[in-house]
Amino acid sequence: MSETNGFEPKIVAYVCNWCTYLGADLAGTNRLEYPPNVRLIRLPCTGRIDFNLIVKAFEMSADAVLVSGCHPGDCHYTAGNYHARRRWMLFRPLLEALGFDLRRIHFTWISAAEGRKFQQVIAEITESARKLGPYRPYEANGESKWRPAGLPPPKRRSGDDASLRTTARELLAEGKAGVVIGRGERGPVLARKPEDADRLTWNGASKIALTAYLKRKEVRALGKPAIVAGPADLRALNVLEQESQIRREDIHVIAAEGPGAAPPDFSDLDALLQLEPGERMAYWAGEFDRCVKCYACRQACPLCYCERCIVDKNRPQAIDTSAHARGNFAWHITRAFHLAGRCVGCGACTRACPAGIDLRLLNQAAARAAERQFGYRAGADPKAEPLVGVYSLTDKEEFIG
Amino acid sequence: MARVGVFTCWCGENIARTVDVERVTEDVSRLPGVRCSVHYKYMCSDPGQALVRERIAADRLDRVVVASCSPHMHLKTFRRAVASAGLNPFLLEMANVREHCSWVHHNKEQATRKAVDLIRMSVERVKHNRPLDPIRVPVTRRALVIGGGVAGIQAALDIADAGYEVALVEREPSIGGKMAGLSETFPTLDCSQCILTPRMVEAGQHPRIKLYTYSEVEEVTGYVGNFEVTIRQKARYVDVEKCSGCGDCWNVCPLKKNPSEFDFGMGFRRSIYIPFPQAVPARPVIDKKTCAKLIRNGCGLCEKKCTRGAINFKDEDRLVKEEVGVVVVATGYRLYSIGKQQENGKLSGYGEYGYGQYKDVIDSLQFERLVSASGPTSGALKRPSDGKEPKTVVFISCVGSRDNAKGIPYCSKICCMYTAKHAMLYRHKVHDGEAHVFYMDIRAGGKGYEEFVRRAIEQDGAHYHRGRVSKITEENGKLVVRGADTLAGVPLTIEADLVVLAAAMRPAAGVETLAQKLNVGYDEFGWLLESHPKLRPVETNAAGVFICGACHAPKDIPESVAQASAAAGKVAVLFANEELSRDPEVARINEQTCAACYACRRACPYHAIEAAEVRSPKGAFVKNTARVNPGLCMGCGTCVAVCPSKSADLDGFSEQQVYAMVEALA
Repeated sequence: MSETNGFEPKIVAYVCNWCTYLGADLAGTNRLEYPPNVRLIRLPCTGRIDFNLIVKAFEMSADAVLVSGCHPGDCHYTAGNYHARRRWMLFRPLLEALGFDLRRIHFTWISAAEGRKFQQVIAEITESARKLGPYRPYEANGESKWRPAGLPPPKRRSGDDASLRTTARELLAEGKAGVVIGRGERGPVLARKPEDADRLTWNGASKIALTAYLKRKEVRALGKPAIVAGPADLRALNVLEQESQIRREDIHVIAAEGPGAAPPDFSDLDALLQLEPGERMAYWAGEFDRCVKCYACRQACPLCYCERCIVDKNRPQAIDTSAHARGNFAWHITRAFHLAGRCVGCGACTRACPAGIDLRLLNQAAARAAERQFGYRAGADPKAEPLVGVYSLTDKEEFIG
Repeated sequence: MARVGVFTCWCGENIARTVDVERVTEDVSRLPGVRCSVHYKYMCSDPGQALVRERIAADRLDRVVVASCSPHMHLKTFRRAVASAGLNPFLLEMANVREHCSWVHHNKEQATRKAVDLIRMSVERVKHNRPLDPIRVPVTRRALVIGGGVAGIQAALDIADAGYEVALVEREPSIGGKMAGLSETFPTLDCSQCILTPRMVEAGQHPRIKLYTYSEVEEVTGYVGNFEVTIRQKARYVDVEKCSGCGDCWNVCPLKKNPSEFDFGMGFRRSIYIPFPQAVPARPVIDKKTCAKLIRNGCGLCEKKCTRGAINFKDEDRLVKEEVGVVVVATGYRLYSIGKQQENGKLSGYGEYGYGQYKDVIDSLQFERLVSASGPTSGALKRPSDGKEPKTVVFISCVGSRDNAKGIPYCSKICCMYTAKHAMLYRHKVHDGEAHVFYMDIRAGGKGYEEFVRRAIEQDGAHYHRGRVSKITEENGKLVVRGADTLAGVPLTIEADLVVLAAAMRPAAGVETLAQKLNVGYDEFGWLLESHPKLRPVETNAAGVFICGACHAPKDIPESVAQASAAAGKVAVLFANEELSRDPEVARINEQTCAACYACRRACPYHAIEAAEVRSPKGAFVKNTARVNPGLCMGCGTCVAVCPSKSADLDGFSEQQVYAMVEALA
């Protein structure tokens, strides 16, 4: 007790109805005593257990969270646990990049027959949480002096502006496109008339990913769009196609010539991961402290196309909308996880952020996990099976007890 | 504001011993929204339930929390109780203060505080419960049985006899399955065909059974009570209606040397053929791979001979649709192919046994044909190589089975019995012959089974050797079987005339594809998965799909038949009502906010989510959306977790309910 100063952790366990909940019932039937710190929340299946629930539990003063379900092959719904496993494989690297102490999150498979395992797991988690001490919310993590090198300057494209303008002009003049979405000297250009085409240039500026315009109703209303696409835009189009958001035949693509997408540069992420977890958390706490929840990151992203963002859903309020540390962390975790296996690394979120937060680092954490664990690069192939919403029997689960 | 009643149970001493129930009741009564907090010795008893009902009326409660045992124990009980008080049963929550609290903690103070926490979570949750009504689904009272072996026939007959129509699909030209080719059956040695063929005829003539032979299930859509099945009727080149089964056609077919599938290659058939004389329907098919007319427009003798004009060389596959309410899968088994590298790469063969290399090394089904009175030798025991009567026969059991190295860890269950039967039948036919059996263990559990094996050994003089065979070679016209008798502790070499290998059972070819069409789970070997190994042995996780026979696991005829009747019984239960009432705790999609990314559709294990369109009242296209088919949804909630905008939600475990519980912890 001296080690823990009498601290009693609060533990939230999200468990599936058919295996772990019954395992806990069996522990009861067999009178297997364990510490009273755990509160079980029964859900039908681990497939139902979302990362938002884990985040929420910590916000609600949990010191550790357990997610537990049926062993592989035993899922009452055949595959819910496989889906869960796949999601946790991508979620954990993200938390790691945030400096979150992963020792506070536990995943186990506990069957209905494993009352004793349930007892042991709860005892172990409680003991480990006692040793870790109270969970400190994000904001209470001090400061970090670390800064990323930031986005590399945009590469100049070798394309010929004159022919780009000719193409766009012809498309508009012949009515083959209702709008040409491209970059101008001072920002994005939505050319609707042939004469507007002269404002287009290959090396223009846009903080917003051009493909993000495709999701806008007012842009869709202009007729068939043509888009001046760089390598990241092409990959974003592929993801949008994978996710049934666009049909390629509905969009005219004016693609840049020259080399395709460069391999992603993870050097900032590597440097971030060199820091101690506590300092990583402190870094993000400092960054997110500046976030004013303007959602420019969401608006600029080519792949944030939900009609109603989860943060705008208030029954229940999964993410605190206030621009304070708690809500900011929940928001940025959510945003980054929703891009796991989808982010094409265009950097629009980082460019768009008025507070100068390098948000792409979080996306990269999940993107690299996708590459390392699944050999998957988002947007490489419009016909590829997306990473989330599917599973493989061979998904690794060394982190699951 | 919700009016919540909390009913805390003592469970005798079970809860009250470690949880201060009175203090809990007191603390809970102060929670917001709680209008009534009472305790009782046994809440599940009649007076306890009456208490719940009384307080619902007296305090005008619209939400109820029962703090007692696990919901797996009494959720249904209390749902009925609140329903009888006029409250929607889904406005009830349980807090598990027994299994998850009083039984696992000893410190009364801590347990009491935890109990209050658990109840508080349930109180907050129940405030967000919505009244739900059972989902009613109309039922098409017609069954599809896939597989016309003994299990499928039994299931079809039972369902038909219960008064419902059945479509029976069999991919071979005749029903009958493996059993139709067996000689005699253990443990009674009654002739297999004598007991099966009358059932086949009955199935063929039953007014409520429609046979689809030489047909396969192409596609299955829909859900319990409302499946639409597309059946591919393979081109038979014979008009079943015109044909009388007279046999003129196959008697003139000059292509006599096609290995017979029914005889497992031990005999021959023509290119137009019925697989065996008792086939149902007794209508031939033309084998398009060997028929000279179909290959190169030659011959055509059968067409000329047929007086009824039943031969149709222009026949094509036909797709037929059947609407059914349930599907019974009875696709049976096949034998593991001993000699070869197995097709899925996971299994490996036994090259050392020379199967496929030596003509007189055969598998057990081939032996069945050899001793069957209707077999290629008319029951005379002649070995394949030279037609001589074998004087020494070695039977080897567990070829593949229980052999991790070959990739089959399971026991094929029936081989011990049929091997004893084979030894016995052999001795009955060749009185001066010797039957040797190599075995690992003898598993003869079953009525009359152990006695049967004893009989083979003691009365019929089969020599049983406990041990494995390491190699079989052919020397001077004899098969030299080298093995060991581990009980005697000696190596054993037997010069045999015939070797019979009891190959492991595997699920029928193609069953995985079928299972995927039906959304039925299967294990790594391809055996179909039951819903629960003890309590729901013939149901599957796909509602309305049942399994019976050896598609589920190796099993013998009595077990297959019993399971088939069980499946038929389940079908009859389902068909007893015109409507199905399903658990309403299913997912739904908020179509207004759905972005139609279809992550949910990819993730749904039941294919219960489909792409749909939102249309204005005038029919104009508004947007795409995902939509849940509540008839298919089983309520796992995987769609909720993958939905980025949380447009998917799960009734009974909704986002609001779950967040309310988490927030109650703060």
